[in-house]
Amino acid sequence: MDAHAVTLDHVSTGIPSQKLGMWVFLASEVMFFTGLIAAYVVLRMSHPGWPGPEGHLSKSLGGLNTFILLCSSATMVLAFAQAQRPTAKPGAGWGYLGWTILLGVAFLGIKAYEYSTKLSHGIAPGTNVFWSCYYTLTGFHALHVLGGVVANTWLFLRALQGRIHPASAYKLELAGLYWHFVDIVWLFLFPLLYLL
Amino acid sequence: MSDAHVSPAKYLWIWVWLAALMLLSVLVSELALPKRTIVLGVLMLSTIKAMLVGLYYMHLRFDRRWLTFLALFPVLLIVLAVGVVSSSQLVRL
Repeated sequence: MDAHAVTLDHVSTGIPSQKLGMWVFLASEVMFFTGLIAAYVVLRMSHPGWPGPEGHLSKSLGGLNTFILLCSSATMVLAFAQAQRPTAKPGAGWGYLGWTILLGVAFLGIKAYEYSTKLSHGIAPGTNVFWSCYYTLTGFHALHVLGGVVANTWLFLRALQGRIHPASAYKLELAGLYWHFVDIVWLFLFPLLYLL
Repeated sequence: MSDAHVSPAKYLWIWVWLAALMLLSVLVSELALPKRTIVLGVLMLSTIKAMLVGLYYMHLRFDRRWLTFLALFPVLLIVLAVGVVSSSQLVRL
């Protein structure tokens, strides 16, 4: 029986404490982003003509970033699947984890390009309410992506050192839960800001 | 462990579905339909994508059911709050 299974057996909820803690944290994050998105929706519904032609965002860049995050979610879950196999060698899953980090960095790179393009045209958070919402929603989301990249990089380095093995693969699961949550938030931000 | 029921091949199939649904969202947003229909269609597709990620990549399908309620409870609170604000005579949006 591995260390993860031992933890599972010793909690009354049937869920390892670390995982339960992550879900409680994610519930607070759901509250945070749902609140922001709800504020945006309420503002938008009260201004039918909003954001107008000046609120143009590149669908192709937004779509590319969505695709990148979907790919990164797949590589993240594959890293966990590889690392948790009972026969997995120490450090298994580092390749997929590396791809997840690269894809996260690519997402941030494209977001930085979008920001710099808008700012160079004089479109800043204070331009109007739409752009305030845009920078707030995507800025907080990008900070969360950055946090995920840092956590994944820490796990990647541990995996390279052979310190991730089936008994400690739950750490990949926890990082994965966070990463997939960040992906889900973007799945709503992309249509709300770029498509509708 | 929580994803004992999911094979890597299934994870890849989910990814194919997610990518296809994303493309469909973009296509729907370009259609010459009433705005309300487009908004409903695109947000429904987003909800389906979020469900696929939650159920399979976050393993909610194989975990304790109450974890899903734990994650969705804040959404319910916000929906209630927005409902109260929108329907209030005191708040003029």
